[in-house]
Amino acid sequence: MQERKVTISNRLGLHARAAARLVRRAADFTSTVQLIREDTAEAADGKSILSVLLLAASRGTSLIIKTHGDDEERALNALVELVEQKFGEELSDGVF
Amino acid sequence: MASSSVTRSRGLKLEGVPASPGIAVGRVLRLDERGRHQFYYIGVSAAQVRMEIRRLHEALQEASAQLQEIKVRLAEQLGYEHSFILDAHLLMLEDKQLIRELEHEVRTRRVNAEWAVRTVADRAIEVYKQVNDQYLRERTSDLEDVASRLLTILSGHEEFDLSKLDQDVIIVAKNVGPSTVAELDFTHVLGFATNTGGLTSHSAIIARSLGIPAVVGLHDVTRRAKTGNMIVIDGSAGEVVLRPTRLMLAEYRERQQRETRRGTRSADNQKAAETLDGVRITLRANVELPAEVESITLFGAQGIGLYRSEFLFLNRLPNLPGEDEQYNVYRTLAEATGEAGASIRVFDLGGDKLTLAGFEAEQNPALGLRAIRLSLRVEHIFRTQLRAILRANLHGKLRVVLPLISTITELRDAKRIISEVKQELAEARVEHNATLPVGVMIEVPAAAMMADAFAREADFLSVGTNDLIQYILAVDRANENVGYLYQPLHPAILRTLAHLVRTADSTQVPLEVCGEMAANPLQAIALIGLGVRALSLVPASIPLVKNAIRSVELQRVQSLMKDAMKLTSATEVEALLEHELPRQAPKFFAAWSSKP
Repeated sequence: MQERKVTISNRLGLHARAAARLVRRAADFTSTVQLIREDTAEAADGKSILSVLLLAASRGTSLIIKTHGDDEERALNALVELVEQKFGEELSDGVF
Repeated sequence: MASSSVTRSRGLKLEGVPASPGIAVGRVLRLDERGRHQFYYIGVSAAQVRMEIRRLHEALQEASAQLQEIKVRLAEQLGYEHSFILDAHLLMLEDKQLIRELEHEVRTRRVNAEWAVRTVADRAIEVYKQVNDQYLRERTSDLEDVASRLLTILSGHEEFDLSKLDQDVIIVAKNVGPSTVAELDFTHVLGFATNTGGLTSHSAIIARSLGIPAVVGLHDVTRRAKTGNMIVIDGSAGEVVLRPTRLMLAEYRERQQRETRRGTRSADNQKAAETLDGVRITLRANVELPAEVESITLFGAQGIGLYRSEFLFLNRLPNLPGEDEQYNVYRTLAEATGEAGASIRVFDLGGDKLTLAGFEAEQNPALGLRAIRLSLRVEHIFRTQLRAILRANLHGKLRVVLPLISTITELRDAKRIISEVKQELAEARVEHNATLPVGVMIEVPAAAMMADAFAREADFLSVGTNDLIQYILAVDRANENVGYLYQPLHPAILRTLAHLVRTADSTQVPLEVCGEMAANPLQAIALIGLGVRALSLVPASIPLVKNAIRSVELQRVQSLMKDAMKLTSATEVEALLEHELPRQAPKFFAAWSSKP
């Protein structure tokens, strides 16, 4: 098993589209993916959008990403990278 | 006076934001997401559990299939960028944990599938509502949308099959979102009235691109209107009248007919926008969506005067449109406009429209980091856009417009970047067309005063009256307390415009006006009286403005504006124009001042 701590730093937190990207990315790997809120110890299945959404991780939330399986290292690296790159958001949602 | 009959009548008048011009009279079809489903708790036997679970899976599959179909239609109708919104919804339907929870609910509590969907969704929504983050709290709409779809499918019928409307209706809804739009049969939709939204909301954009009247931001119209009620929508004035009296109906119908006679449709497309004394005015289109490209020909525009490229972002953030995706959109614009060409305004982001991650929310966004200021700060995004424009320019005649320029340095910096991008493309042997005129948006008073300096270094000037008026008069027109001070005919505005026209004439640089003033017939005539010769406006308003132009004699309008310039208040200017224009051009303007 591998794990690493990340901080959600995109302005809007893990909202629907960011969560969708994370779940899609997690699905690329066979390993199981778990996200755990550092403050409340709440855990979510990284392959379930509903579960990830229910973490309701806003900006500034620290999460521990745990991966377990054959490709756990690659999976962890990919997910950490996604979070650190703010889910590919250079721009965040508008107030349209 | 017509207005007194309104106050006496029992018709309920609501004021909102005028989102798409024109008058519509018809019956309400209220779309009420919550009220559409009836579901009951039904206890089921152990034997029936398996059947309920099968119903559940069938509903999930059906919902996925519907969303996939909507996604495709949405991409076709409104452009690829709008279809992203459905991705999260699709993932929810495939969510193993959600499916497990639904099954668990049916199995352990022995309930019907409907009840399971409702309770599981409500539980999730409840958790979300506890979140100490307003943005995330509001995302419950995604969950609700998915639950609604499942419940509709499970209930086996829809109250309204939106794609099979058999009579003309006016849609009243909280908001008209992309998934509703994809379902609607627009041949039967006469107009929209919505609770939420401003000029740049989805409902507003959709209505404008379809050329149907709409009023948005009505707060509680869904609570007041019932399906089947008569309703009048005045998309030009931003008014809605519910259950109008017979007298009011007659007044609106008459006005509607007058507007139709004056041309709100394509009848006069082939005629030129020429005054009685033979002066031609160029009318171009303001465009926000790729889908609007068709309306350019439909309404007889001479190319695109303003493509608001930031709409590429609408509803698809957090993802930025890549170079190729932008290229495809700009190429469509280039090909559709041919010789007449299209002006692409660089992303006008920031301010009230969008905030960039990594930049904090500002105290005063209208005066903050937005438009060109932001483009120069996030140069890589600007460069990507320029590369896409230069490549697409091979297929037509594109121009680029820089928004919110306030100093000459910004223009020089932008031009330097443009020439660097051209050089990079040339060095990398990427096919492009480097003949790309660069224009400056005149929106900031400082730029208006320094127009001669900008005219020497830019290829054209484009006056954005919405922002220019806001900044000259220091008024936010969306602010209810001071909105009345937003006066396009304020003498200070007229003098500024006259100064800009003189500058453009003496420097021989083309000038175009592209704010909402250009779409209002009276104000458009004031503009040409001041010497403006090119206007850019929403496509649906072009026939109306064209007919106004064809009804006046430029010489007389010019001397009228000379008199107007001597006045000291907007009220006086308005009174003068409303008195004189009906005399000069009775055919068009006689009815104008007596609108209800």
